[in-house]
Amino acid sequence: MKTMFTATLLALAATASFAAATVGQPAPAFTATDTRGKTVSLADFKGKHVVLEWTNPGCPFVVKHYGSGNMQGTQKEAAAKGVVWLTINSTAADAGDYKAPAAMGAWMNEQKAAATSTLMDADGKVGRAYGARTTPHMYVIDPAGKLVYAGAIDSKSTTNPADIPGATNHVKVALGETLAGKPVSLASTRPYGCAVKYSSM
Amino acid sequence: MRLHCLRTCHALLRKWSAGVFLLAAGLLALPAASAPSAVVVTPQVRAELLAHAPAGAAAGQPLWLGLRIEHKKHWHTYWKNPGDSGLPTTLEWTLPAGVTAGDIAWPTPKKLPVGPLMNFGYEDTLLLAVPVTVPAGHSGRTLEVQLRADWLVCKEVCIPEGGDFVLSVPLDGGVPGGADAAATATLFAASRQREPQSLQAGQAQAAVQDGALVVRVAGLPAAWQGRELAFFPETAGVIANAEVPQARWEGAVWQARIALDPQRSEAPTTIPAVLVPAGEAAGALVAVAVTSAWPAATSTTTAPGADALPALGAGTVDSSAGAEAPVNTAPPIGLAAALLLALAGGALLNLMPCVFPILSLKVLGFASHGRDRRKVLAGGLAYTAGVVISFVALAALLLALRAGGEQLGWGFQLQSPVVVATLAALFTLIGLNLAGVFEFGSVLPSSWAAARARHPLVDSLLTGVLAVAVASPCTAPFMGVSLGLAVTLPTVQALAVFAALGLGMALPYLAVSAWPALARAMPRPGVWMQHFKVLMAFPMFATVVWLVWVLGQQAGIDGAAALLGLLVALAFAAWALGAPALGSKARLGFGSAAAVVLALAVAWVAPALKADAVAAVPATAGTDARWQAWSPERVAAARAEGRPVFVDFTAAWCVTCQFNKRTTLADAAVLQDFDTRRVLLLRADWTRRDAVITAELTKLGRSGVPVYALYAPGNAGPRVLSEILSVAEVRDALATLPQQTAAR
Repeated sequence: MKTMFTATLLALAATASFAAATVGQPAPAFTATDTRGKTVSLADFKGKHVVLEWTNPGCPFVVKHYGSGNMQGTQKEAAAKGVVWLTINSTAADAGDYKAPAAMGAWMNEQKAAATSTLMDADGKVGRAYGARTTPHMYVIDPAGKLVYAGAIDSKSTTNPADIPGATNHVKVALGETLAGKPVSLASTRPYGCAVKYSSM
Repeated sequence: MRLHCLRTCHALLRKWSAGVFLLAAGLLALPAASAPSAVVVTPQVRAELLAHAPAGAAAGQPLWLGLRIEHKKHWHTYWKNPGDSGLPTTLEWTLPAGVTAGDIAWPTPKKLPVGPLMNFGYEDTLLLAVPVTVPAGHSGRTLEVQLRADWLVCKEVCIPEGGDFVLSVPLDGGVPGGADAAATATLFAASRQREPQSLQAGQAQAAVQDGALVVRVAGLPAAWQGRELAFFPETAGVIANAEVPQARWEGAVWQARIALDPQRSEAPTTIPAVLVPAGEAAGALVAVAVTSAWPAATSTTTAPGADALPALGAGTVDSSAGAEAPVNTAPPIGLAAALLLALAGGALLNLMPCVFPILSLKVLGFASHGRDRRKVLAGGLAYTAGVVISFVALAALLLALRAGGEQLGWGFQLQSPVVVATLAALFTLIGLNLAGVFEFGSVLPSSWAAARARHPLVDSLLTGVLAVAVASPCTAPFMGVSLGLAVTLPTVQALAVFAALGLGMALPYLAVSAWPALARAMPRPGVWMQHFKVLMAFPMFATVVWLVWVLGQQAGIDGAAALLGLLVALAFAAWALGAPALGSKARLGFGSAAAVVLALAVAWVAPALKADAVAAVPATAGTDARWQAWSPERVAAARAEGRPVFVDFTAAWCVTCQFNKRTTLADAAVLQDFDTRRVLLLRADWTRRDAVITAELTKLGRSGVPVYALYAPGNAGPRVLSEILSVAEVRDALATLPQQTAAR
C-alpha cells in the first residue's frame, strides 16, 4: 500500500515535471553523455544556434526521414551555416528497440548523419525537460539560449517518403529566419511520429 | 579422376535440382500477386470491408460501409486526434459516379497511456463506418466499392500498414453480407452504440486562464453527475494530453481546468470534444466555444536585451524536483519592455493635438501662481493620480468586457458612433472655451466654481480624468504593441501596463510641479498668454474635423452632417449660456432658444447614430481598384491557388493606419512589387465592430490596429510586419516569398 502510494506520488511528480520548455522562453539546460562517452552540455554551445532532434532508429517516421536522406540533408545544411546539431535518443534501456551507445553511434555513421553529437538520454531527463513526445521532435535554440521553434520536422504527417518533397521543412525555414535575425514565423507546430519510449521513473 | 568427378557431379546435380525444385515449389506456393479482396491480414490486424443496409441495399436506400479492424492483443490504432504521437486511420474511397461517402463515424476512443505520454485510440475490435449515399436514380445492379485504407498500428513499436479492399454490393434490395449478414448487422449496431452522442449546441464554453483551459459544460446526461469524466479533444495540439483535468460538478454543470500544452501550436475558436465517464461505452460530443483570446506564445513577442536572461546553469536537469521549474505564463522580460514602451508612449501622448493645448495651459499656469511648492506638488500628484486611475479604469472596462465575451480590442471605444459623437462635442466645447466664446465659470453654477477653488486637489484630479478622456482618440504609434501585449497578460500585469501609460502621460506635468526650477524656466505671464490660449483652440477644432470624418465612415455623410448640426447647436448654446459679455436678460432669451435648437439637433442626430442605421451604411473606407474586402475564405482560396496575400487591418479612427495607407502603401515601388508577385491585396476594415476581424486579430496575437500580415502561398503562418510600416520592410518581406514562375 505504502509503495503504491509513493509510486503514485512519484508518478504525479514525474508528470508534473514533464515539458517545462516553452517557445519564447529560455531553453532548459542539460548535460548528457554522447555515444562515445563524452559529456556534452547545452551551455557548451552558448553563442551558437542549436538544433535538437529526438530520434529512435526503430521508428518508421525516423526511417522515412533518414531513409530518404531528408534528415541528413537538413543536418548538413545546418552545419554549413555553423549551427550545432544534437541528436538525442531518449529510449529507455528496457525498451524493445533500445540501442546501446556503440550501436547508436554505428547506426548514425551508417546513415551518414551530419550531427555534431549524438546524445544518449536513457533515463529520459532531457526529453522530459523539453516535453519531447515523438520521434522525430525538433527544437531550435538561438545563441542567447531562447527556444525559438518546437515541433515537427515538416508539414506532412505521414510515414511515406514520397510526401517529403511536397512538404515544408519547418526546421529549414525556422533556421533561415532565425539566422537572419528575424522572428520565427511558425514557432510551434504539432510534432508527429512514434511516442518516445521513456523509462518509467 | 573422372569417376570422382562423376560422383561429385552427380551429388552436386542432385543438390541443384533439389534446390531448383524447392525454389519452384516455393514460387508456386506464394499467393500469386493476391487479387484485392475485402480482407487484408497482417501480423498485427485483420481488416475487413463490410457493407450494411438496414432496409436492404438498393438505389436511394441508406447504406453503410465499414472497415472492421480486429487488433491482436495489446496492439492499437488511433482516433481522429491520435494524442501525443501516432496517426489516425485514413480511408480513401473509390466509388461509382454519383455515389458519395460521408465522414467516418468514429466510436468513442480509449485512453492509451505510453509512459508520461497519452494517446487516444482503439484496441480489440473496431468498426470505422461511413454513410454512403446511393442516389435514387442510380443504375447498376451492383455497387463496386474500392477502398485504400492506411493505419498506424503500435504496441511498443509502430508499424505503418495499409491495404486495398474491394467489395461488390448487390443493389437488389436484399441484405448484403450473405451468411454473415446477421453478425454484420450486430457489429454495425454495436458500433453505433459506441458513437458519441452530440449534445445541443451552446452548452459548452471555455476560457484561457494562466496556461490552462477552464471549461464549463452543461446538458450532460443526468446519470453522469458526480462522476469523473475523460476529456478527448478532436482538435490536436491544444491541451496537455497526459494531464488529468481538475474537475468538479456544480449541480448539473461540469467544470474543469485542463492544462494547456506548453508548446501549443493551435489557437482554435471552437474545440469539438468527447466527454465520457469511466466504464461507459459511448461518450457525449460537445462543441466547446473558446470565449477568450489565445495568448501569443511565439518568439515574436518583444524581448530586447537577451542579456537580461538568467545565465543558463550548467549541470544536469533535476527532474525529480519538479516544483523548482515553474512554467512561466508571462515573460518577465516582455513585461518590462512593455512597461517601458507604455511609459514612453504616454509621454508622447502629450504632444498630440488632443492633449497638448490642455497640458500646456496647465503647465503655463504654474508661472502665474505664487503658490507654495508643496501645494503645487500636491496638485501635480493629484493630476497624476487622476490620469493613472482613468487609464486603469478604462483598461479594466476593456478587460472586463473581453472576459465577458465581447470581441473588443483597443480603440473599441472609437468603434461606437455615439462615443465618437460625444468626443467631437467635447472637443468643440473645449475649443470654443479656449477661443473665448464662453467661460466655464458663467456656464457652471457658482457653487461649482467655489467648490473648485476650495478643493484644488479634486480639481487637479478631475483635470487628469479629462485629459485622459481627451487623449483617447490620439493613440501614439507604439502604444499598439504594448497594448497588444497587455491584453494577453494576466489581469494584474495588463493593468500595470496601462498604469505605466498613464504615468508616462502625467510625467511632464508632474515634473514641472515637482521641480520649481522647471517652473521658473517657464516664460513670464503676459498678454501673449491670451493669444496662446486662443491659438490652442485650433488644434482642438482640427481634431473635431478628424472625428467628423471617422463618424462619416461609420454612419455615412448623413450622420456626419447631423453631427455637424449638433456641434453648431452646441456652440450656440455655449455662447448663449456662457458668453461673458451677455446680460442676464439676453442670456435668458438666447438660452431658451438655444435649448430648443439643441433638442432638435439631438433628435436629428440620435437616429443616425443608432446601431442599425450605422450597419446599413456600406463601408467605403479604402476600397479602391487594388484593394478588396477581406474575408478568411478569400485568403485561403488565394493561398490554395498559389497567390501570396497581404492583409491590411485598418480603421478610420486609427491615425497610424491612415498614415501608412497614404505613405508606404501608396509607394510606387511597393505597388510594383505587389503587382510583380501577384499579391492579393485585402483590407480588413475595423472602423465598426466586427467580431470576425477581432477574432483574426487575436489569432495574430494583436488586439488593435494597424496590423499588416503577409501570407505566403501554402499553409505556413503569416508574417506580421511592424506597425509603422516602412517601404524597405515591405519590400524585404515580399522578397522572401517564393519566386513566381510566370509573372503577368
